[in-house]
Amino acid sequence: MMRYAYFPGCSLSSSGYDYDLSLKYVTKALGIDLVEVKDWVCCGASSAHSTSHLLSIALPVLNLSHAEKEGFDKLVAPCLACLSRFKAANVELSHDANLKKKIHDVFDYKYQGKVKVYHPLEVFLELGLEKIQARIQKKLKGLRVACYYGCVLTRPPKICQFDNVEDPQSMDSIVRALGAETVDWSYKTECCGVSMTLTRSDIVLKLSNDILREAKEVGARAIVVPCPLCQANLDGRQRQIEETYKTHYGIPILYFTQLMGLAFGAYPKEVGLQKLITSPREVLGTLGLM
Amino acid sequence: MSVTLSRDSLNLSHELRALTGENVLLCYQCRKCTLGCPSAYAMRMKPHELMRALQLGLTKEIYWSGTIWICLSCETCNTRCPQDINILRVIDGLREMSKNFNYYNPYPVIPSFHRIFLALVKRFGRVYELGIALMMNLRMLTPFKDIDMALPMLMKGKLKPLPHRSQGRKELQQIMARIQKLEGANK
Repeated sequence: MMRYAYFPGCSLSSSGYDYDLSLKYVTKALGIDLVEVKDWVCCGASSAHSTSHLLSIALPVLNLSHAEKEGFDKLVAPCLACLSRFKAANVELSHDANLKKKIHDVFDYKYQGKVKVYHPLEVFLELGLEKIQARIQKKLKGLRVACYYGCVLTRPPKICQFDNVEDPQSMDSIVRALGAETVDWSYKTECCGVSMTLTRSDIVLKLSNDILREAKEVGARAIVVPCPLCQANLDGRQRQIEETYKTHYGIPILYFTQLMGLAFGAYPKEVGLQKLITSPREVLGTLGLM
Repeated sequence: MSVTLSRDSLNLSHELRALTGENVLLCYQCRKCTLGCPSAYAMRMKPHELMRALQLGLTKEIYWSGTIWICLSCETCNTRCPQDINILRVIDGLREMSKNFNYYNPYPVIPSFHRIFLALVKRFGRVYELGIALMMNLRMLTPFKDIDMALPMLMKGKLKPLPHRSQGRKELQQIMARIQKLEGANK
């Protein structure tokens, strides 16, 4: 059995609740054990690195230390904001002796940098597509989706060291293994603007509209995402985007783990499909998937 | 705009290099950063212009443009820069340094957001989504902004009315206090 420390991050206990639910369903089905990091705290996200570089490294280190103390050498972070902060902390500490000294000065426990950080996509690919396919009970035949990866799953490559930076394929390969069809499109790694969702909603609406429009133009019936922030933005703001740009999309924004769960035979509620603001009922219902 | 250069013009880029390790003088204005930037359309000073202004030491113009606050931190410019300059790190350095200057900022709500975000994280140990949204609405004098988005999310249980408290918050507060002390001592 594969065992990982699990850092859900703040979003997965509120707006990304359905991501947490479906991720746990899928990992359980695949025999992957996720153990929540004890007493974890926020990774600091954009606000920490915009305020103090030292703080932006210290917050991930605090959580990585907890995992290391508990004897884990692998940690899973499903949110891209957390993931990129954790990976950056590990890389910067291993390259910058001065920074490492500063970090050791403010911590009682000296983090040794032994905990490797993974996104669930990396975990599933490491497990292998054959194992995923072996678990399928219901192929997602006829479903045409656009895989949207967001900004920081692959960027910058020096930190992320995962997938093709400008044209990632990891999620496409998993979704295709489930029997669905994925589209080629040029907005896979364009930013949805979520870091300014409260302060400059006008920018967020424009960037998210570009993504939804492109997905619709290439004929995708749904967008599949690996991050709770992209999901909250593209799904939660979809109504506002439609009003602002006088158009209609009605494109459900699904987590890739929800699609995996459905293919593994989960009931829609077991993977939180009822939680989506733009209902996937029409798209999935006509294909007999919901 | 005419620019008078002196030896002092290099102070800003040197200071930034000491803070971030990034050398902005390497930039040769290919504009890849600006062409890939998702929020460049909303910037008065585009990313490549920011790099040029840094080389020339135009501190006031840089802060007045507010560009550093319109950057979304999406990492596209870093990834594509042929000179391998970590432009986001440069922008983060300027954001950090902004506290030392008293220049006009056209977008004060964005640093306010970061302050409120971190204050709530310090208090609870985790992000309190509804809390930060309400506090930002009050800060921006638009109390009902995004209510059309928040209501369905509340109904579906995707926004929690009360904050989650982490047991790790005491340790977090200790670390944050030590960092503040350390950074205060360096100034």
